[in-house]
Amino acid sequence: MIKLSGIRKKYGHHEVLQGIDATVQKGEVVAILGPSGSGKTTLLRCVNFLERPNEGELTIGDFTIQCKRARKQDIYTLRRKTAMVFQQYNLFRHKTALENVMEGLLVVQKMPRDQARERSAQLLDKVGLGKKLDAYPSALSGGQQQRVGIARALAGNPEVILFDEPTSALDPELVGEVLAVIRTIAREGITMMIVTHEMSFAQDVATQVLFMDEGVVVERGTPREMFSDPKEERTRRFLKRIAPEPIYHI
Amino acid sequence: MNLDPGFIWTALRSLLQAVPTTLAITAVSSLCGLLLGTVTALLRIYRVPLLGQASSAYVTFIRGTPMLTHLLLIYFGLPLLIDGPLAGAGLPVRSAMIPMIGFAYIAFSITAGAYLSEVVRAGIQAVDRGQMEAGLAVGMTTGQALRRIVLPQAMAASVPNLSNSVIGMLHASSLAFTVSVVDINAQAQIVASTNWRYFEAYLAAAILYWGMTLALERLAALVERRISLYNRGGVSS
Ligand SMILES: Nc1ncnc2c1ncn2[C@@H]1O[C@H](COP(=O)(O)OP(=O)(O)O)[C@@H](O)[C@H]1O
Ligand SMILES: [Mg+2]
Repeated sequence: MIKLSGIRKKYGHHEVLQGIDATVQKGEVVAILGPSGSGKTTLLRCVNFLERPNEGELTIGDFTIQCKRARKQDIYTLRRKTAMVFQQYNLFRHKTALENVMEGLLVVQKMPRDQARERSAQLLDKVGLGKKLDAYPSALSGGQQQRVGIARALAGNPEVILFDEPTSALDPELVGEVLAVIRTIAREGITMMIVTHEMSFAQDVATQVLFMDEGVVVERGTPREMFSDPKEERTRRFLKRIAPEPIYHI
Repeated sequence: MNLDPGFIWTALRSLLQAVPTTLAITAVSSLCGLLLGTVTALLRIYRVPLLGQASSAYVTFIRGTPMLTHLLLIYFGLPLLIDGPLAGAGLPVRSAMIPMIGFAYIAFSITAGAYLSEVVRAGIQAVDRGQMEAGLAVGMTTGQALRRIVLPQAMAASVPNLSNSVIGMLHASSLAFTVSVVDINAQAQIVASTNWRYFEAYLAAAILYWGMTLALERLAALVERRISLYNRGGVSS
């Protein structure tokens, strides 16, 4: 289980997260929606301490961290329990697809090289890149790079994978292949928090939807509640604005 | 007196014996300088209290003063600096036991360190922030992410600048003759004055330096081709 309590983050005087609470059960997929600048990215980055929250408490599995008092070691422990898929992929540019997936296993988990190689090759095969093991990121399309990113996130067996707009940087024709992979691993019961603007995907895959605006969770519910009968005016306006967008059938 | 082309050849052959000395000074100062430069670049980028400021001061001071001055400061300053404490500690070691070339190694490493600090810093800053973040996100410590992710890419991006610096050190190593180290330039002086053929001897030295520079440039181009394969849509083999 993942639990966020009263997460606050300030940049100078600007409070970007104004006390976020959320509970994510094992195997759940939480879709986080909201207009640009509402704090979605910051929230995900607080969960793995790429940004340090000013206040609040984080629980991941059996590990709880008081954000204010978090020490280096706590942060490393937390990060080993999470993984992140970035909007800009952020693959290690000097490493092949296989090495990208192996890297964390070798360095963080201290897994023997043969074992790491085998596991990584399996994961790449799973995301449809079994034939691209030795390609550098620069030789891969955006969709392929992001699938390597997903394999890399899966490698460390995290308790939760954080996706920050995983398809926003992709050409439209490449979005489908990435969403298909995310859908597959969601069905396998991997816990996810995913910021996305792909409404039909969210509706289809999410077990819980959070709508954020100006640093607060305005409304939350099941996809059915949120998409067919939103209670809050702000949610309604947002969904209306974003609704006429292409739907990707997979 | 006329030009004696044959003597250029004679001089050239005599200069060859000094090539290892010149190469040693270049290699030692470049390698130690790279180490020093990397450490000071990191201290500055991460604004480490005190050490960061000290590194900045070091870089501006060294880059703001001539390399010959560094050599003279070390040559005359090091004995003052270390002999007292060494004697105080009861150690039987004195600065007089340092061979002349040792002063060149120390001084030029300090010089190279400052210039390479700037090169490495630019290289690190050219690496996208997302690379470090991706390393941290898979659970690496900052040190691991630096060593395994950021620095390799920074060094690869810096190869052209690094090779320019190494070539600069190769040329500047000729200053070592001021502390009686017999490098190529000093050897040229010896050959010249014993035969009263100055132009030919120095021309031979110039040819030798030029050849070594071309070789270094070639080497750098090869290294760059290999090391930055990943940037060109390559596939590892
Ligand atoms: N490093 C930062 N420094 C200052 N302000 C920031 C920083 N990162 C994000 N912000 C601000 O925080 C707000 C939320 O940003 P973000 O979390 O990226 O929103 P979203 O992902 O929902 O678009 C924005 O107003 C943004 O300008
Ligand atoms: Mg964002």
